[in-house]
Amino acid sequence: MRMTPLHPGFVAEVSGIDISVPLSGDEVAAIEDGMDRYAVLVFRDQPLTDEQQCTFSRSFGELEMTLIGQMMKPTERRLGPVEMGDISNLDAAGKMRARDDSRRMYALGNRLWHSDASFRATGAGYSLLSARVVPGYGGNTEFADMRAAYDALDDRTEAAVEDLVSEHSIAFSRDVLGFNDYGEGNEDKVRPVRHSLVRTHPVTGRKSLYLSAHIGGIVAWPVPEARAFVRDLTEHATQPQFVHAHQWRVNDLVMWDNRTTMHRARRYRDLQEVRDLRRTSIKGTRLTAEQVPAMAAE
Amino acid sequence: MSVAIRELTPNFAGEVSGLDITQPLTREQVAALEAGMDRFAVLIYHDQHFTDDQQKAFSLNFGPLEQTEGGNVTKAADRRLDPQMADVSNLGADHKPLARDDRRRLFNLGNQLWHSDSSFRAVPAKYSLLSGRTVVDAGGNTEFADMRKAYDALDSATKVEIEDLVCEHSLIYSRGTLGFTELSDEEKRMFKPVRQRLVRTHPVTGRKSLYLSSHIGTIVGWPMPEARAFIRDLTEHATQPRFTYVHKWRQFDLVMWDNRCTMHRVRRFDETQVRDMRRTTVAGDSVTVEQMAA
Repeated sequence: MRMTPLHPGFVAEVSGIDISVPLSGDEVAAIEDGMDRYAVLVFRDQPLTDEQQCTFSRSFGELEMTLIGQMMKPTERRLGPVEMGDISNLDAAGKMRARDDSRRMYALGNRLWHSDASFRATGAGYSLLSARVVPGYGGNTEFADMRAAYDALDDRTEAAVEDLVSEHSIAFSRDVLGFNDYGEGNEDKVRPVRHSLVRTHPVTGRKSLYLSAHIGGIVAWPVPEARAFVRDLTEHATQPQFVHAHQWRVNDLVMWDNRTTMHRARRYRDLQEVRDLRRTSIKGTRLTAEQVPAMAAE
Repeated sequence: MSVAIRELTPNFAGEVSGLDITQPLTREQVAALEAGMDRFAVLIYHDQHFTDDQQKAFSLNFGPLEQTEGGNVTKAADRRLDPQMADVSNLGADHKPLARDDRRRLFNLGNQLWHSDSSFRAVPAKYSLLSGRTVVDAGGNTEFADMRKAYDALDSATKVEIEDLVCEHSLIYSRGTLGFTELSDEEKRMFKPVRQRLVRTHPVTGRKSLYLSSHIGTIVGWPMPEARAFIRDLTEHATQPRFTYVHKWRQFDLVMWDNRCTMHRVRRFDETQVRDMRRTTVAGDSVTVEQMAA
């Protein structure tokens, strides 16, 4: 197995391995080392079935259910395993969603810089995204290195953010785009959770900014002041020098560490072209801040 | 006295010297400044010790002034300045910094979002003129973005796509972005959305520019989330460093800009310090698109 960095210390392309078959302990350890170092790994030419993607993903921990999967009725789902996140523009029948489809509106939130599942008390560990069908134009996924972004803060800002705790909810990121239709019975799933704004990677000990479009406030700050500040931090953290744009090819698998990166999808002609990506995510294993008053739904 | 303008970035933002603009100007001087505005879109003057009356008199060279009414949540009785002076300070009527959770302060934080002044009015503003009476040592820069260059740099498919798009603008949207949503019925009426073209053409130069603003809440005929995601992308494009000029304030600077072809925003500063900026606004003379029936 070989890793070729695409930027200094951020994003590497992995070659010389077939991830559709079970891996050895050494191979898993080597990939985890690569993730600790590069935060994003790109595997090219890896045709995967959903089951193979789940198996590969489980090498790194327990899989989480997607929030949208939990909120949808089973009949609305296109994919089999409940752990498969459907990152496509297709409905249960495999047809492209209409312009005003509420699932399409919800999915537009992915165009905002975010860290997966930061709206859960434990966040997410890795996410793994496999490209089955890609559009001819647009639809890149961009990644931003929150370790480098943290390192580049000026001293004053570094001191200002050190002990801040932010509030995350899926409702905040969707509300920014004017979407708030979650369906009945899902109120508990949008209840905010708390996270430290600065987190330390459990293996490398490196600090990073824990930013996400799901942030709606900072504990003890007036909401507009918190949001203006988080916007400034996000703008800082997503400057071109911290960002890698991944241009998808069919059968790419990209995995990233949600604890140290943000990502977003870019626009594509989603009413004319199919984009079928499938995501698995590893459950986060620890809180970054104390929850008050109670943890949101898992 | 002749007017000299030094270019600060290529064809965007000029520094004016050789002129005392607190005193009445000749017709030729005014014409030279208007020509400078058409070329640079932002002009900077240093060491201009304005009174409010002098600032208004200078501003009137460029057209009638816009009234500040309808642009803020500060009630008339609580105003520090007269109705033609927009109070862009962090001060209350007692001239002291507003408390951290003061509603007026939280509303004014919206100025940290990229915007074009009064794009929420059916007839939006022509020029804004901002005088730095008391400035802060750190932070509080005003940044300007050139919407003509931003338009020119779009790919041709995007130019075609946006040519006839119409956006809805309101203070409700820009403040909503920051979670400032508690508005009285009267404020909601006052901030009723208006329509503006997304691409506008400068009446003098004929140049096209992107008419963007944080006041945009949707595009007519589009689903709101799709419109907002697209406007965010356009705004990110239009505010790249290569299109911007950063103004670091000195006391008694006056900066004037053409809202028809620029956006601007203020950056964060320590709000326990006094920052007293006063704005006059030259009214526009036409709508950019037909408004909805009331």
